Amino acid sequence: MYLRVRLGSEHYALGLEHVLEVLELGDLTPVPGAAAAVLGLHNLRGEILASVDLAAVLGLATTGQARHLVLVEDGHHRAGLAVDELFDLAALPEPSATTGSEFLLGGALVDGALIGVVDVPAVLDSVAAATVSEAA
Amino acid sequence: MNTVSPQLMTVFREEAEERLGEIANCLLAVEAGQPPPDAIDLLFRHAHSLKGAASMVGLEQASEIANSIEDVLAPAREEGELAPELVDSLLQATDALRQAVNGELSPSPTATPASRPDSSVRVATEKVDRMLDAVGEAVIQRRRVEHLVGPHEVHSDERLEEEIDREQRLLDELQEAVLDMRTLPLSSITGRFPRAVRDLALNEGKEVRLDIAGVETQLDRVLLDGLADAITHLLRNAIAHGIEDPDTRERAGKPRVARLTLHAEPRGDRVAIEVADDGRGVSASLYEQAQRSGSLVGVLAEAGFSTADGVSPLAGRGVGLDAVKRQCESVGGRLEMESAPGEGMRATILLPVTLALFDALIVERGGQRYGFPIASVTEVVAVGDTTTLVGRPSVEVRGESIRLGDLARAVGADPSELPASPQALVMGEPGSRAAIACDRVVGQEEVVVKSLGSMMTAVPGYLGAAILSDGGIVLIVDPAYVLRNAGRSATVRRAQPTAVPEPKDAARVLVVDDQFIVRELERSILDTAGYQVQTACDGREALRAISDGGSFDLVVSDLQMPELDGLGLLAAIRSDPEHARLPVVIVTTQGSEDDRRRGAEAGADAYIVKNEFDQSALLETVGRLIGR
Repeated sequence: MYLRVRLGSEHYALGLEHVLEVLELGDLTPVPGAAAAVLGLHNLRGEILASVDLAAVLGLATTGQARHLVLVEDGHHRAGLAVDELFDLAALPEPSATTGSEFLLGGALVDGALIGVVDVPAVLDSVAAATVSEAA
Repeated sequence: MNTVSPQLMTVFREEAEERLGEIANCLLAVEAGQPPPDAIDLLFRHAHSLKGAASMVGLEQASEIANSIEDVLAPAREEGELAPELVDSLLQATDALRQAVNGELSPSPTATPASRPDSSVRVATEKVDRMLDAVGEAVIQRRRVEHLVGPHEVHSDERLEEEIDREQRLLDELQEAVLDMRTLPLSSITGRFPRAVRDLALNEGKEVRLDIAGVETQLDRVLLDGLADAITHLLRNAIAHGIEDPDTRERAGKPRVARLTLHAEPRGDRVAIEVADDGRGVSASLYEQAQRSGSLVGVLAEAGFSTADGVSPLAGRGVGLDAVKRQCESVGGRLEMESAPGEGMRATILLPVTLALFDALIVERGGQRYGFPIASVTEVVAVGDTTTLVGRPSVEVRGESIRLGDLARAVGADPSELPASPQALVMGEPGSRAAIACDRVVGQEEVVVKSLGSMMTAVPGYLGAAILSDGGIVLIVDPAYVLRNAGRSATVRRAQPTAVPEPKDAARVLVVDDQFIVRELERSILDTAGYQVQTACDGREALRAISDGGSFDLVVSDLQMPELDGLGLLAAIRSDPEHARLPVVIVTTQGSEDDRRRGAEAGADAYIVKNEFDQSALLETVGRLIGR
């Protein structure tokens, strides 16, 4: 099962095995010195949660309209991914691996529209690594 | 495979560590000619208990080693005397036993490297931190309720006010109890020191007696983790540089056996940990320099700390004194040193009791709030006229000219224009003070400091973040980092003089591992083979060494490390155009294909598994990659 979301005019899906919950974006505290894709820190019931600009990681033009955070975890990292809109939970056909993006597991065709299936661990790893190289 | 629960294994491991420590200390006392009255019985008892316990949890190899220790002790027990010649082999057997206890105890490839038997503590810390989070939230929630009801209503309703007060008291009590769970006695890390001192002294041809006192002093677990390395370094320095060889001591009218003390005690709201020796102390010229600059620790850290004329393989390398100093400062503590020629040396580490809770000074800069540990701020001043001195802005505070830095620049934020009369926090030691300018000081609040999370561990400049009573998040600034970066755009970075001049033709290798033992092992192997070796205790320190112009020919790195792990280090090196081609060898306890693959994908040039670790494999790999 996947959570379907919107970034700008494009549709993406996040595997439910990585999704813990969805949140309102709320106020974020920017972290100077962090990777560019880090939007800031979110207060999740007393836990400090890093929020990531998913559109920026995927190389899309940032719309600045993100209103929701999808809390994801991959065993190494835990972060909120900012998205413009949440759709629904849905099963998807097996994604074909022809998107050419290192952050997508592939694209799935649903009702003639292409949905990018996000490789959550790859997204999180790249942000953590970018943080490292900016620190260096 | 045995079916012992992880919990039981942890209990066994902790108990084994304690017993092994007591065995080692007892053996050292025997060797020193001062055996405790029941030495043999004590050794026998511990070995016997270990044998039984190891067998019970299915560690047959460990059980067999314990059994062989018993065998060696048996005749001694009959004769009622343990020959000091046996001590060395018994100590070796103890080491083997420790390895057997730990080595077989990491069945999962992601477990922390073997000889750190406190992995259970880490889990516990997380749980404690989660409780701390919940308590913090409860406090904020209570304030929200009070706010909703309205302060006037609360005060006018005596019963309501009483109930709210009672809730606050309960929450305070709860918070204190949880914080208390984060602390451990210093004795949890001192067990290894007697043995380390013995080995180091033996190696250096010195005679040293180590006295340890105050080990019941409580400290934050997170602080203890990093403290062991810092103390080890101070002990090493004392033995290698401070303490004279026995003949020299005799000629100087001192006892042949030098006295080294490790002493901890609470001092106000801090804990002081003191490492003192009765060795030769600093040289007259260093003493004069220190008198002039007002800070011995500053002079020593800068000089690379070498009071000995000759070059010893032990000190002047590894974590430098400046690293010890930095480490203390990064957790809101301080390193102080006292010495005079001929009068020994006393190094004092002053630390906060807990990292988790402290008073923060909240300031605003560029529309964002930042918190400083209040203990790091000497005073707050209004910035009037600034002057520039050698191109650097400075401000005058009561006759002293202090360099002025901008908080935004120091942490890497966009430096928006400061108001016409900004405020500045005066920080640092006399002689290296800085005033950090911000838009305004907002106030003071007691905060619970939390980590920025796994994604952000490599972001420099922060101790963490805290949630304020209004629910907003404030970044807690690392005072040491800000001090270093204050006014960096205008400062000229002076190269650190290296402690040891090395032959030019030796290839330079950077060894990165969080475990002192592994680091030293790799260092000595490479050193003996003629490489010029520098060490770092985590990825972050390694990156610093590389970017500080270390011009290394190769990096040997562990995978599992705090701060920044091996893969992170690798990724950082590969993404830096200047060092992208630097060969990196990953050495780790993990042998799974998955890790090998991740290492290879991240661009590792070679991969050595610790379990298969041997000298020739390391030298062969390093030689091949450096091309000689």
